[in-house]
Parts: sequence; C-alpha cells; structure tokens
Amino acid sequence: MRIACFFVPLFPLAARLRSEPELTAEAVIITEGNGSAARVFAATRRARKEGIRSGLTLAQARALLPKLIARARDAECERTAQEALVEIAESFSPRVEDAGSGMVYLDISGLERHFKAVRSRMSATAEESSKDKGHAAWEHSLAQSAIHAVERIGLPVRVGIAASKLAARIAAELPKSPTIVPAGSESSFLAPLPLARLTPELEAAEMLQRWGLSSIGELAQLPEREVAARLGESGRDLHWAARGIDPQPLQPRQPLPEFREGMDLEWPLVSLEPFVFVANAALDRLTKRMELQGFACTRLELTLRLEPDGFHSRAIDLPAPTRDVKTLLTLTKLDLEANPPGAPVAGFLFVAHPDRPRRAQLSLFGPAALSPDKVATTIARIASMVGADRVGTPGVVNGHAPERFTIDGYDPPPPPPVRRQPRQGRGLLAVRVLRPVVPLEVISTPAVALASIRSLDPGQKALDIHGHVRVASGPWDLEEAWWSDTPTEREYWDVELSTGGVYRVFRECANGEWFVDGIYD
Amino acid sequence: MSNALSFNYQIPLSPEPPALPLPETAAVPSRLKSIRDNLGAAAFHLSSAAELSRSLEKTRRTEPVLTTLTGIDQLLGGGLSRGKLTEIAGNRSGGRFSAIIATVAAVTSSGEAAALVDLGDHFDPQLAEAAGVELPRLLWVRPQRLKDAVACAEMLIHTGFQLVVLDLGMHPVRGARVPEAAWVRLARAAEGSGTALIVSSPYPISRTASDAVLSAKRAHIFWQGSGQTPRILTGTSSLLTLEKHRHRRPGGIAGMRLLTSDAIGNAPASSRSAVPAVQESGSSPLPAPVSSV
Repeated sequence: MRIACFFVPLFPLAARLRSEPELTAEAVIITEGNGSAARVFAATRRARKEGIRSGLTLAQARALLPKLIARARDAECERTAQEALVEIAESFSPRVEDAGSGMVYLDISGLERHFKAVRSRMSATAEESSKDKGHAAWEHSLAQSAIHAVERIGLPVRVGIAASKLAARIAAELPKSPTIVPAGSESSFLAPLPLARLTPELEAAEMLQRWGLSSIGELAQLPEREVAARLGESGRDLHWAARGIDPQPLQPRQPLPEFREGMDLEWPLVSLEPFVFVANAALDRLTKRMELQGFACTRLELTLRLEPDGFHSRAIDLPAPTRDVKTLLTLTKLDLEANPPGAPVAGFLFVAHPDRPRRAQLSLFGPAALSPDKVATTIARIASMVGADRVGTPGVVNGHAPERFTIDGYDPPPPPPVRRQPRQGRGLLAVRVLRPVVPLEVISTPAVALASIRSLDPGQKALDIHGHVRVASGPWDLEEAWWSDTPTEREYWDVELSTGGVYRVFRECANGEWFVDGIYD
Repeated sequence: MSNALSFNYQIPLSPEPPALPLPETAAVPSRLKSIRDNLGAAAFHLSSAAELSRSLEKTRRTEPVLTTLTGIDQLLGGGLSRGKLTEIAGNRSGGRFSAIIATVAAVTSSGEAAALVDLGDHFDPQLAEAAGVELPRLLWVRPQRLKDAVACAEMLIHTGFQLVVLDLGMHPVRGARVPEAAWVRLARAAEGSGTALIVSSPYPISRTASDAVLSAKRAHIFWQGSGQTPRILTGTSSLLTLEKHRHRRPGGIAGMRLLTSDAIGNAPASSRSAVPAVQESGSSPLPAPVSSV
C-alpha cells in the first residue's frame, strides 16, 4: 500500500490567514489562552525574524515588535480549513483518513492509471531521475498536483508519500516537499533523522537523551526487548516506529448517510390527524432502512411543503439514538402541535441523521441491564410529556443551600457482573424539600413564650402549614456566595408544630422574611 | 480407487501454532465455584442455556427487594415483592419519604436501576447521596400532574427498571384524580416486567390493585437537650401497620426509628454544623422551647 500524507505546517496560523489573506505578508501571531495568560502559539515568518517564538506571552511579543498583529485561535476557521483539506484529498482518492489539525492521509494505491497522461508528458530526464531515486514518477506528479490544488484553496501544504502512515507523516513534515519514500526503504529513510521526529513522550525522550541517542537509526539498532524492558509498552512502540514498522492501518472516514423519506400529497392536508397517518408509514420505512444498516435516529428533521408556496421546517433532537416509530411519531406530533405550520401541507420530507444505537452486555448473575434503546425511547417520551429539564439523573452541586441540584442525562453505569448485597440502611430521616419555598408568617407572643406560624399561600392547599410551635431548634446559620450580587444569608430552625409534623424553616437575614423549605418525613 | 486416493492424500503440514498461555490454575476452580454458588440448587435440573436463562430470571423475580428498614421488611415478609404494587400511606413526618429513600439506596447500591417519579418535586440529591443512593443509577422524573406521573411510572416499568417509586407528595395529591383502572393497569405492568413498584401517598389510593398496603404514622419526635440548653432534632419514630397483604395476615405492627444525619454522625457536606449558632436572648421571634418531647 502507498500512503500519501498532506500536512499543513502551523495549521492554526494557516487557517487564520486563509480567512484573512491580506495579513499574509504582515507580522502576525496566533495566541492561545485568555488575558494575561495568552501565549504565542504560531507566528508568521516576518514575526519570527523579529525573534518572536511560540510560548512567549503576548506582552513579551509586543515588546519585541509593537506593531504585531495578534489573533486568537479560531476553532471555526480551523474546522473549515480542515474540511477543505479533506475535500481536496477526496478528489484524489476515495480512501481518506482525517487526522485533524491540518493533516490528512490518503490511500493512493492504484492511482497510477489516473496519472498516466501526466507521466507521459514528463520529460525523459525527469523520469530517469525518478527511477534513479527508486520511486514511481506518477507519485511525484500526484504530489505536485496535490500541492497546487491545496494552494488554490489558500493553504500551504507539504506532501509525503511512503508505505506507512508514520513514514508518510515524517516525510511530509520535512521542509523539502514533496518527499517520496520508496517502498521498503522506510527504515533507511528514518535512520538519519533526529529522534524528535518520532515525537516520543517527554519522559521517554529525556531517557533516550541520557542514553546518548540522537537519531532514529541509533534507536532502531538497540535490541527491542531491552528497550521494552526499560521503557515499557510505549518504548516497544517507539522502537517499532524507529524501524519503520507502523501497525496502524489507514482508517478511511465514512461520512454518515442521511436517510430521507417523503411524499407529495394528492390533496393538501389541513389537520394533524391525517398527516400523522401518512407520517407513521414514512417513519416506519425510514426506521426499517436504518435498521438494515445498523443505525438509529439521533436527529429527525421534518420539512413541510405548504400550499400555495413556502416551507415549514422542524428539527427534533433525541436524547439517544432510537428506532422506535411510536416515539418518533409522538415527538413529531407534539412538536407540530406546539408549532403548527399555519397553511395546508402539500408534501413532507423526513430526514433522519443516524448514529449507532447503544448496546448493553447481558449478564447471567448480575442485575439485568436496561436496554439503552428502550431507555432512550422512554426518556424521549417522558421529556415530551413533562419537559426535558424535568427528567434525568439527579446530581449534587457544591454549596450549602439545600435546594440546589442538577439534573443531567441518564446514562447509568453497567450493572456489576454479580449482584451486590445492598448497603445496610442507616435509617436516615429524610427531608421533603419544598420547591419553591413557602413563605410563612411567624406570630410571636413573648408573654406566653409561644409562637405560631402559618403559610402565606393558602391557595396551594398541599402546602398549608400552620400551628403553634411546640419545640424549636436553632438558629443554624447559613451563609453562601457573600461575594456575589445575590448572597444567601439565612437562619435555619427545626420546628415541631402542634398540628403535627416537623418542619425546616428559615429566616432571610436580608429582609427578615420567613420561609419553610422542607418537611422531615 | 478411493483407498488409493485417501492413502496418497496428505494433509499439508502447517507450522505449529504458538502455545496459548495456560489459564491461571487457581482462578478456574474459584470461578467455577462462584458460578455453582450463584446457580444454587437450580444447577442440578438444567440441561440447556435457555433453561439456565429462564431459571435465573425466575430466581431474580422471586428475590424480594430489601428496604433495609427492619420494620418494613418484617411486615412484608422479607421485603418488597417484585412484580407487585406495594403502597405506603401516611401523614406528614410519618417516615414515608425516608422509607422510599432507604429502598432506593438499597436497590441502587446492589447495582440495580431505580426510577423515582416525584410528583411533589421533593427529592434532595445531597441527602439521598448521604443516605447511600448511587445517583447515576437513579432516574428522577418530576411531573406536575397525577395523570402524567402515572403515565411516566407505566413507561418506566415497561422499560425494565427493577424499582419504580411513585411518590405522590403530600395531602392533598396534586393534580386531578385518575380512575382506579389506572392503578390496576400499573400493577399489571409491574407484574409483566417483574418490577417492584412502590406507590407512596398521603392516603390509600390504589385500592384493589395493590399487593400490600402499609400505613406509616408519626409516633414520636426526638430532641436532644432540654430546659435552657439548645435543642437538636435527633430523629423520629413511626408506627407501621400492615393494612393489607395478599399472602399475609393484615394487622401486623412494627416500629421504625429514623435518625437525622447529625445524629448518625455522618452528615452530608452541605449540612449545618452540629452546634447551633449562639442565640442572643430575645433576638429571635421563635421562643425558647416550652417542653421537651
């Protein structure tokens, strides 16, 4: 196999300059971090000539060159530049691996026929020179074509071609471009290069330096077993890499397909029920197609064509991939009820974005695991009924206020292989938290040393609280977020009322108002 | 001819495959022993994997769900029955919610999945974690109407949760009433999927659909300290009565003692300190205690 590597040096800078080409000739730096922590990540040649290096703070860089143009790393610029690079690679080969950060691998085996015409146009001397170097002339031609193509989209690129991803990457990282490593000569190509080209881990790199090794070839000459004994598994991998052995295969990217099902309706529909009927059949076809390819729907888009013209588009994000038609239909129905199209519907199109469904391992002796597909479906249906923020896994939040909590997506850990004995109960007295807290009126009569309280919101009958205080315990001070605009300062009491029940009440120190926020139950 | 062919035919010799590492000699018997222990007496009657799977499923269904509260477990004959609806009814501070939290803690700590349908929105994750609940195994649903709560509980039962708790909050139950058939439907769903279903309500609500009904009544409130010394709430005690059971004689009574986190001595990080703040005389509208209960 022959693998080509496209490598864009200083990718964050190159991606930024692609968006702002007028800065190409200027002294520009790309910074990473915010405020005073911002540091130079990459710099143009003109800036580097003034002594600016990566790792300097922005202030240090500006001290060297006051007219320096600084730009922060832009994730969107980098994403679009990477996409453009991958598109160029896909115009050369269908098997492309997106390695990210300005690097792309592509399988170029069998492409010599495509470059036959180019090869025939090459001069005889150039072909001779290629043969002397031991590689095919068409590879050189392909590399030159790739460089021209990538430069047309505004990115500087280096190309390396070899028999493995590792050798192709190192060849592409060399300043001379294109670099073509003939098949079978990876180890001899790597041998004179410095060890830093292998990008070993920091600890291993220090140790190799102490051993007196400076080139890849010197490491390759050491016995593999001895290296592995001293550096562990990473040392063995490093030794393989030094010998030009790269076990990592090319992993071509496979863009997820989009599943579409739609229909042009003979008569425009004006009510929801008939639409649900035809949508049910379309969703059924859609899920069957996805099932055949082992996918489930993670996002469902619906486009309605309206009469006489116009479109109405909706998108439903699912908490987890599902193929349950009933769930998809219920969610579609609820969404359309909440957002009606406002005109007769003359046609519709469902687009399902697929993802792999979650799987669970069955257990013989442990508790039965929940089916992730079923859980996702149930949660989607419950969320459509009670609201997405009212279903999930409860979580704790740092702080002191008792009412605080978070609610996250439900993703339980797998059950243990063998059922555990339940933890022995501690008989903890629980508190029913009241959300929101109930305002109280405290009527104090010091003469008889008795107080009574009653809730100020008798409209909510379930929260009707009143009675004389039989026993009170407190105050327990609670102070939180004193540094913020909304500090919390409360005095908590536990009170037992004559009407029964033990309550947790508090007084807001800021305004002296009383509330009950929990019932011991 | 065939003999000659078979005689002349030679299997091509392939290089001997490398010897696989031998299994750990000590580990194999211990694993077998573990499997036999788990299978129990059922192992002697099994002849196929399908039978094994069915037998284990049957064993799973017959194992009661422990609440780890001795009083409740004794009254129910060992714990909550799987595939049955158990109702706990009681007034304020009767210990209903504590019993729910203890059961959820027991189920999640054994590795099973639990769901809490919390109609009153009363659940406190901090306190539940302190009670031993493994929060990642708990699904918390906060509906606002009784009808939604019952529908959510039914969906969760069909999903396969080993424990589903439907807490209806305090008296009176929020939202419109649901027909009695809804409880029967819930009970049937629980029976079909082997889920232990608890309905916690301020008054008996499930009627004929329940397998067992427990009532929890507040008995005592325990305070530490008397006279002029600051009081500390240490716990409550409740009286549990078995009002109904399909397979046991009703009328059984048991006590349930519950302690605050301060009294247990392992308070959650958020709880207050064990000593109340110094109270200046006459600084608070709440009076000094008049009696020690």
